[in-house]
Amino acid sequence: MTTCRQRAALLLLAATAGSAWAQAPGPNNAITDVPGISVGHYTGADAGTTVVIGSSTAGQGVGGGVTQRGGSPITRETDLMRPDNMVETMNAIVLGGGSAFGVSAASGVMRCLEGKGVGFPVGGPNVVPIVPTVTTFDRATCGGPPASRPDFNAGVQACMAAAGGAVAEGNVGAGTGAVAGGVKGGIGTASVVLPNGIIVGAIVAVNSEGTPYNSDGDLRGASFGIGNEFSVLTKAGGKANKVPASLPGGPLRSGTNAVVATNVALTKSQATKIAEMADDGISRAIDPAHTAGDSDTLFVLGTARVALANFGDEASVVTQIGSAAGDVVSRAIVHAVLAAQSTSCQQSYCDVFRSACKNGR
Amino acid sequence: MRLHTALCVVAGIAGASASFAQTLPQTPGPLNAITDVPGIEVGHYTATNGAGGMTGTTAIIARGGATAGVTQRGGAPGTRLTDLLNSQKAVGTIHAVTLSGGSAYGLAASDGVTTCLEAQGVGTPIANGAIAPLVASAILFDPGRCADFTFRPDASFGANACAAATSGPVKMGNIGAGAGARSGGVKGGIGTASAVLPNGVVVGAIVAINSSGRTFDATTGAFFAGYIASSSDPIVSAVQVDPAADSQELLRATTIAVVATNAKLTKAQANKVAQMADDGLARAIRIAHGTGDGDTVFALATGAITSAPNINSIGGAAADALSRAIMRAIQAADAIHVGSCNVASYCEQFPSLCKR
Repeated sequence: MTTCRQRAALLLLAATAGSAWAQAPGPNNAITDVPGISVGHYTGADAGTTVVIGSSTAGQGVGGGVTQRGGSPITRETDLMRPDNMVETMNAIVLGGGSAFGVSAASGVMRCLEGKGVGFPVGGPNVVPIVPTVTTFDRATCGGPPASRPDFNAGVQACMAAAGGAVAEGNVGAGTGAVAGGVKGGIGTASVVLPNGIIVGAIVAVNSEGTPYNSDGDLRGASFGIGNEFSVLTKAGGKANKVPASLPGGPLRSGTNAVVATNVALTKSQATKIAEMADDGISRAIDPAHTAGDSDTLFVLGTARVALANFGDEASVVTQIGSAAGDVVSRAIVHAVLAAQSTSCQQSYCDVFRSACKNGR
Repeated sequence: MRLHTALCVVAGIAGASASFAQTLPQTPGPLNAITDVPGIEVGHYTATNGAGGMTGTTAIIARGGATAGVTQRGGAPGTRLTDLLNSQKAVGTIHAVTLSGGSAYGLAASDGVTTCLEAQGVGTPIANGAIAPLVASAILFDPGRCADFTFRPDASFGANACAAATSGPVKMGNIGAGAGARSGGVKGGIGTASAVLPNGVVVGAIVAINSSGRTFDATTGAFFAGYIASSSDPIVSAVQVDPAADSQELLRATTIAVVATNAKLTKAQANKVAQMADDGLARAIRIAHGTGDGDTVFALATGAITSAPNINSIGGAAADALSRAIMRAIQAADAIHVGSCNVASYCEQFPSLCKR
């Protein structure tokens, strides 16, 4: 009979072995590889919003957690996610542009979900959809204030567009007006299937004050790639290129916001711990991260297709998911930067570091 | 006597001047309202459906900006921009707090306050000429009471409340965020109160009480926090008997409040004042901070008085002002009797104790 510690050690060994040999991205290499997760974008002229819907097998909410480490958060319903508070399940997460105005998209998502009968039950047929939200300021606006910002209708449209399958990346949704350091930012997503069947996915809107590339022009998160995931990168770096300076930082100016999802059932406390570990993936792919001017907020959803106890003792499984989530977040950030396209006033990574990307991309 | 002794001990520990010692009753400002704090404006918007159903939004505006803190102790909150108020975050100044009915749907009212303030040029400059009015918010649960479940505040409620904001007298009772509120078996509502401290610091509170717990002894009508009432508040004896909370309401409640002062506080101090002010909620309502309560208290400091603040004095006064605002809310609330919609009021149940 093995002790807990022995089982934990075996699990760790399995996880380590898995990371070397057996782990692979899911079929879409997207957060939608997690059953129960759908994603919808609303893309405006220079700002947008992205909704991630988490659905149990019954079509209702799923356990969730959040970590909020950036110094300039514009958030909604994060108090509710604290483990000491009552509501245990979330219906959707909104990542948005539009700064303090963009929070209104969450109301549109609520209306959309209410129309489907999705939400916290409050008697009879009535529901209150639980839609935690974070927004950031869109910096890729060519020197002027944003010409568009996501509103109530943007939230409705993003929710109506939500689907499984492939997820559009780059200058879409919450990444529309995003800037990553000195290059165009955007939406990125990634997933991993662990040898034991745990699936972890992430979607990130990269609008960071810090840079996703180092002083040699290499993407910080590229080393976390699985297989030939980042074969577009030459690994020749950008030494020959002029590394652009990050845009000036300041309160409320930036933020990298993310959602991580897994097919494992999570309590709020477990999801919160996983969020904290997943957030390390931002730190590894962007430097500096979590600045005073960043909104950096990361949510976790567990869609409860499998029980956590199936995989071992609680601490080990939470650690395994959190560790995997950190890597997935870093990879999603790389995807965001590679998918982002130059605008009239903000060049993309591959346009700035031409020698780093094959075919200019 | 015991209270005074305890306060003197606290003041001694804090090294505070004796002249700051907490005394009861408090001396209200001229309006006995949160608007006695210079720089604070309040606007209500209320909707009625003609069948006894009411809901609404209250905007508390600090046009010149206020250092803000928050405490969130109820178990079922609906909030916006509260993370921003953590002491370690970069932004210390906000421009308004929106209190609203409508459960989480009512968070939309804050959108209207935000755009209203933007149109007036009120906000934090970000970059590229953009400003962001920073509007924190908390909501209470009132949907479906003598109304369709979709009868709820939207962005237009916030815009209207913002447009109606003034620094004058503040209406209480069945109005704004308190329009559809109920409290421990009677009608809840909006209440406000203020206190002027001996050193010139002004502290005010406004509350929308929608509590599962009761504020008064169900038999005698005595307010639990009656001993805190001021000479211009209703005064009733303070016989304290545990109430029997209405179990049906235990999961559909929330008391949300804002306290304000003209003292100059850091963000950390504003958070501390919010925490102490929350004790006023606990003294006036039993039970408070339950699992179904969204109880959230914001603190705003406009900073006109720049001398070093006595946090215990301000926090203690804010707690008492909040207790008084709660008692005033309950007494100001009107019963509703429209068709099959019947909600008793405190004054209906205890007419001899009712003072408005």
